[in-house]
Amino acid sequence: MNILKRNYYWWNKWTGYSLLILLLVVTPLFTIFIKLFDSPGGSWQHIANSLLFGYFQNTVFLLLGVAFFTFLIGVSTAWLVSNYEFPGRKYFEWLLILPLGFPGYIMAYTYVGIFDYTGPVQVFLRNNFDINFQGSVIDLMNLPGAIFILSITLYPYVFLISRASFLQQSKTMQEASFLLGANRLKTFFKVALPMARPAIVAGIALASMEVLNDYGTVKYFGVNTFTTGIFRAWFSMGDVTTAIYLAAILMVFVFLILYLESRQRGNRQFAAVTGLHKPTARLIPSLGKKLLYTGICTFIFLLSFLFPFFQLLHWVSMTYHKVVNQDFFLLIYRSFGLAAVSGLVIVFLAVVLLYALRLSPFQWVKNITKISTLGYAIPGAVIAVGVMIPFLALDKWIYGTLFSSTAGLLFSGTLFTLVFAYIVRFMAVGYNPVEAGFQKIGIHVNEASRLLGVRSTKTLWKIDLPLIKTSLVSGVLLVFVDVLKELPLTLILRPFNFQTLATKTFDMATNEMIAESSNAALIIILTGIIPIILLNRMIMKRGKEEKPKISG
Amino acid sequence: MTILSLQKISKKYSQAKDFAVNDVSFDVKEGEILALVGESGSGKTTLLRLIAGLEHPDSGSISLSGQVIVEGKKSVPAHERQVGMVFQDYALFPHLTILDNVKFGIKKSMGDRSQIAKNTLELVGLKEDDTKYPHQLSGGQQQRVALARAIAPNPKILLMDEPFSNLDALLKDQVREEIRQIIKKTGITAIFVTHDTKDALSTADRIAILHKGYLQQIDIPKELYENPVNPYVANFFGKRNEIFATPAEEGFYTSFGFVMDPEAKKHKHPVRLIFRPEHAEVVQRPGQQLSGKIVKTSYFGSHQMVKIEDEDGKQVTIRTNPGRSFEGMEQAFFYLWKYDVEEAF
Repeated sequence: MNILKRNYYWWNKWTGYSLLILLLVVTPLFTIFIKLFDSPGGSWQHIANSLLFGYFQNTVFLLLGVAFFTFLIGVSTAWLVSNYEFPGRKYFEWLLILPLGFPGYIMAYTYVGIFDYTGPVQVFLRNNFDINFQGSVIDLMNLPGAIFILSITLYPYVFLISRASFLQQSKTMQEASFLLGANRLKTFFKVALPMARPAIVAGIALASMEVLNDYGTVKYFGVNTFTTGIFRAWFSMGDVTTAIYLAAILMVFVFLILYLESRQRGNRQFAAVTGLHKPTARLIPSLGKKLLYTGICTFIFLLSFLFPFFQLLHWVSMTYHKVVNQDFFLLIYRSFGLAAVSGLVIVFLAVVLLYALRLSPFQWVKNITKISTLGYAIPGAVIAVGVMIPFLALDKWIYGTLFSSTAGLLFSGTLFTLVFAYIVRFMAVGYNPVEAGFQKIGIHVNEASRLLGVRSTKTLWKIDLPLIKTSLVSGVLLVFVDVLKELPLTLILRPFNFQTLATKTFDMATNEMIAESSNAALIIILTGIIPIILLNRMIMKRGKEEKPKISG
Repeated sequence: MTILSLQKISKKYSQAKDFAVNDVSFDVKEGEILALVGESGSGKTTLLRLIAGLEHPDSGSISLSGQVIVEGKKSVPAHERQVGMVFQDYALFPHLTILDNVKFGIKKSMGDRSQIAKNTLELVGLKEDDTKYPHQLSGGQQQRVALARAIAPNPKILLMDEPFSNLDALLKDQVREEIRQIIKKTGITAIFVTHDTKDALSTADRIAILHKGYLQQIDIPKELYENPVNPYVANFFGKRNEIFATPAEEGFYTSFGFVMDPEAKKHKHPVRLIFRPEHAEVVQRPGQQLSGKIVKTSYFGSHQMVKIEDEDGKQVTIRTNPGRSFEGMEQAFFYLWKYDVEEAF
């Protein structure tokens, strides 16, 4: 019998590419794990004795405080906009998400500026009531201040997810509750809130990850956490192993949060089982309540976005003529370039990973591919440490064997390393939209194309990619914005004297040039707002049209 | 001549407990239409995907037009197999026009790609719609595009996954006939999967019955109907009645009466008489027939079913013509004109 050219069925080159990418992406995490077994560095004893407890205490209080306030603000506003009709409700649906575009550190400088001697609050009080303060009106430069800043920047995570959950809860379920004699308030506590609980906790978990990732705010406010500890060990003491020890402890926090989040979710399925899930008809409250609800939302919006935004605009109007020059445009060009390259590379890699998964007949491929998205849960400072060490070792090896010299940097301290670190950290941001895109178009179009004699690579170009175009664009855009905002990782890994908008803002603000820093900050925020609005549209659409798909 | 041959094919999915396909072997002759029939979970769609190269079997081999395409861990990838497939959801490319969909698989070496695509569209009766996009067509039209797309590259074999399941009952009869005509016109060998025996009986030349991953029987419809190898296959084509009978010199004694049968004396032990509802006839007058109490009559338009009960409450169902009236009748008389005799235990 004539035998055709045959291949091993489980092998295709995509599996190979995918494994290679996975290997690279997990290297930093693996490095930290391995290095934990080294003996601790010289300063570890000092830190363990005098600082570790403080790091621990501050980190825990910060986490608890932010969790509490993001829950309070996020859930209450989400409930109001999804259940009541009041003036401005339609606008608050997206206005209340805008703080996501405000990186914590920028919010921090701005608020310090607002309450400062020259800030609007003191000027107003001085001019109108002749009230004078020693220093700031409210001292924000402490733990409660950090909790306040992080809460008003991170509550949108909880707001977004719980609003989506409230929208998905079937109308019939809430109507059943009303018919059984429960009023809105009771329905909220007995039906809506318990049903939305997994979503709310997921939102709080996201916010907590961001808290652990934050460096700018806590550093500026002088609150010592594990992240600032890593920086101190790395930069001030030059003690790599201690930085790794701290990074490892921080990882324990991360995994604890991930574990708690997945545990509370359990196997329960909270989404409505029926396809009937018309959004609940919004109640029209009495005039007084209408004003109250508008008032609450306005207050939150003013506090979390409008005040600080106007403060920034004010500073920009004062300083732009000093700051905005050729160097500034170069800064923008570089930052955007870096963010765009990272976005494109990440989405490209995500497509490779997910396409390998799409073609693979094996379940384990699915499980290990998910590992590539783990970086999003890991604080930037930890990733920076994990990326730096292998690259330093690689440089050492290259120079040692090839050039027989001991010094020299080929990779470390270059943009290559920085982009690599962004890939590790932000893979999930590009991965999720691509995954959703592939899921939406289904596997049959791909199979149909291959059965028509078109090989897998060409099928990807001609069928899959054109069909998930929107997902690809939103993936690049989301990574772009995240990279633009990223601070701690960039601070550690940027090449010498290389500035991005984020590091420039941070440098200027910490060098008492808060007003000047506002120019770069404003660009970060304005860029960040675009995808937020797009994202919100996507979520609202999903809530209205598709069947609920969030499941435990 | 055999075009496709499956040898001892087995496949188990990683999370599943049981084999989806278990030791299945069969041949398909060139130009025939074969239906793979089974309930959901019988392995019929898996079998189709194994032939297409979208899954790989754990063991066994497959050869297509004289070439081994699957053996051991090795396999010819799907895109090199020249197998056409119509998916249950059609899987038309939404971003391409109808013409471009059909053109997609046609190789340049085959000649003028547009012309071939247009000819194929004409064959399925969609000549006018070639600049439209899939979402602008009705479900039935989309299916014909999917069929055109699959046959345009002139594949060695055409596979169809539940081709009639998305159509409403009225359209179904018409589409079944159309598709059979198109396939026969092109002379292509086709395999289709269905859970509906009516699809299989009306469209296929041969039918393979699958149950829990095992191939039960593969044969022409008449043979399956008249000589099923086991009760599962027999029951698949509709209801069967069973009555217990004691053999005697000139026939069988049953709880409904005496059945004359000179062959009865061959049996020494009690037996079961097995017959389909249409293999019995209800008659007007009492005589040498079986009888029982009428429990229920159900009207189906083209026929009606009469349920008849013996003194112990054992029921049989008999098909009669729709014009018959049983009003006011308590007792029915019937005879069996065809039945199988099976040992009782």
